[in-house]
Amino acid sequence: MKIFLCEDSLEGIFTGIYEAWASGLGHENVRVLMKAQYEPELFAEYEEVKPDAEKSEKVANSIQKKISGEAFRVVCRAAFSEKAKRADAIYRFLIEGFHYGAVILRLLQNPAVAEVFALARKVANEAHQYLEFIRFEQLANGILFATISPKSRVVTLVAPHFADRFPRENWVIYDDGREEAAIHPAGGDWVVAEFPKERADLFLEAYGASDGYEGLWKVFFHTIGIKERENPNCQRNFLPLWYRKHMTEFL
Amino acid sequence: MESGQGMTELQEKLRILSDAAKYDVACTSSGVDRAGKRDSIGNSLAAGICHSFASDGRCISLLKILLTNHCIYDCKYCLNRRSNDVKRAAFTPDEVCSLTIEFYRRNYIEGLFLSSGVFRSPNDTMEQIYEVVYKLRKIHRFRGYVHVKAIPGADSDILDEVGLLADRMSVNLELPTADSLRLLAPHKSRDSILKPMSRIQKRIVESRQSMGQTARLERAWGVKGLSNGIFKEEDYQERLLAAGTGTGIENRENSGAGGNRLRPLERGLDIRTFAPAGQSTQMIVGATPESDYHMMMVTQALYRQYDLKRVFFSAYIGLNEDSALPDPGSPPPLLREHRLYQADWLLRFYGFQAEELLSEERPNFNVFLDPKCDWAVRHLEYFPVEIMKADYETLLRVPGIGAKSARRIYNARRLGRLDFPDLKRLGVVLKRAHYFITLGGRQMFPVSLEENRITAGLISDSRKKNWELSHGECYRQLNLFDDMKLEAVPEVEDFRKAAGGQL
Repeated sequence: MKIFLCEDSLEGIFTGIYEAWASGLGHENVRVLMKAQYEPELFAEYEEVKPDAEKSEKVANSIQKKISGEAFRVVCRAAFSEKAKRADAIYRFLIEGFHYGAVILRLLQNPAVAEVFALARKVANEAHQYLEFIRFEQLANGILFATISPKSRVVTLVAPHFADRFPRENWVIYDDGREEAAIHPAGGDWVVAEFPKERADLFLEAYGASDGYEGLWKVFFHTIGIKERENPNCQRNFLPLWYRKHMTEFL
Repeated sequence: MESGQGMTELQEKLRILSDAAKYDVACTSSGVDRAGKRDSIGNSLAAGICHSFASDGRCISLLKILLTNHCIYDCKYCLNRRSNDVKRAAFTPDEVCSLTIEFYRRNYIEGLFLSSGVFRSPNDTMEQIYEVVYKLRKIHRFRGYVHVKAIPGADSDILDEVGLLADRMSVNLELPTADSLRLLAPHKSRDSILKPMSRIQKRIVESRQSMGQTARLERAWGVKGLSNGIFKEEDYQERLLAAGTGTGIENRENSGAGGNRLRPLERGLDIRTFAPAGQSTQMIVGATPESDYHMMMVTQALYRQYDLKRVFFSAYIGLNEDSALPDPGSPPPLLREHRLYQADWLLRFYGFQAEELLSEERPNFNVFLDPKCDWAVRHLEYFPVEIMKADYETLLRVPGIGAKSARRIYNARRLGRLDFPDLKRLGVVLKRAHYFITLGGRQMFPVSLEENRITAGLISDSRKKNWELSHGECYRQLNLFDDMKLEAVPEVEDFRKAAGGQL
């Protein structure tokens, strides 16, 4: 068994898959795992894979050409998952995908497909929930700043929505676990950049200011619930506690 | 930002006017897709976005407030009725605009839900509402969601103008029958509620047809094709012809597309369609003695005749003391409300009709089983359903299979065999479905198709959930000899059967 260890990025995972495929050892003799999230095994040979733009481009292109654009989007979402098995799941999915072509996405009874489908769905659901639960605060310099601690890597999935919604605003969505942020200048295009924790703290310290609207929102939030129908279980179902860490109304 | 004093005053107003608005149910932001624009703020997603969940578990999607809670009416069920001694307040249109925009920028809300007490006159109130929506759209260039209540009794001209700016309009039916309405809302009449409703419908149809869309609203995937569904296309045409002058839209129906250039296109606005997310309404559950059957028939009629996007139900909460009302403090009938919503889903997504679910003889929903399971155990002649062969409609009718999983089955089975674990992965709830399906001719467990046995199995799964829903208070106490399938009190016959072990 040969195990390819890849870095946690789309490029890293695709390069890992490329190397494993190109090794010619046979699919059952290779696995692709995440460098940061694997448990060493006896009797396995390990190889670390450096991300390579050209190789990952090749994988991306062949997914789009030989399977479909939709499949590529599913694979990307699955790659943003936090699960350790994601790289290998994508590898197994691609084996089937290159065999069946575009119909693969309907073939949910195939375990490899179901696996990737479940990963992608989880990420997509989380990204959707962040569209709901992201809270911006207005800093003293007028920038809208949101901090999130998502499980999956959602910044690139939520940024287009907010770019469309607030084209005239300067905003930042900062993922404090991965220390990266989507940054959108007013009237411009958004980018994702590294954003170390120290810098974020400095930034917030320099400009942080709570304005009256946070208070108003809390007032609204607390009056709108009907006392006679109180139901914290239902509330937790829709809005799990771990999302509430950065939400204005629960602070 | 305003001064501290202005802020506290605004806070107090917000507290009063959101408190007064909280009993309105419709807080959805769905039904319209609108991309953002470079020089504007906001967009809208057809799926709708909930931004938070209040302590009662209801979603907060829109800034739900009243413009004012001053009211000249005296509806008995309402907290803001004239005869109640409550704190009164009124927002200025500019205050509402800045609240909406500032909340929206911080991603607290999806837009505005604006209702109001009737201040001075319906027309005055409606004009104020118009001012708010106009300023939001034109001055603040707001492209988010706006839901506006039409005030019964306001002139249709104002409604027409508001509808061109709002995404959804609604008129609350409040009570399902004219009698109840007369009893509890003496200043409103059935007619004054239905008139704006049909006016709005007429405008929506005109606007849709002038844009080259179908007269009726879009519905969920496949629903218009269901042979027994309430949104069936031909059905609608026939009924219009038969009705003659029912809704006043038949001329438009027959005049063909392209013939008319109607109001929406003449406007120089960038949002020109009339209430693109359709209209909705709401009914109070449990304030008057109507049965579930009655409620469902009214709901179905509203969908068919007025093409409403949604009908909402709101469990009555005893606020006011009145001889015509349930006692204040009596718990809201939450389980009943839940059953009505479940049945509403069956109408809108599953191709059921109200008459299939309930009848004059069985006017209320089963407390222990959801309406779909209840229907299924009473119609065992349709089961078991063979998953590999059954058509989409039949799949939809199996308890435990929803619209999504039916579609996934439909897609997956064309490419290969399925087994029971596969079904689970596709999203089927086997706990309920396994009684009613076969896969390749075999059942999951050897269960005979007997009504009593299946009912018992299904009930043991859902009893806990129902208990939680009703908080164990608003429904009857369980006792030893209850026959759990029946809403009615068990009769002598039942006791005899139970004793004989036949139940």
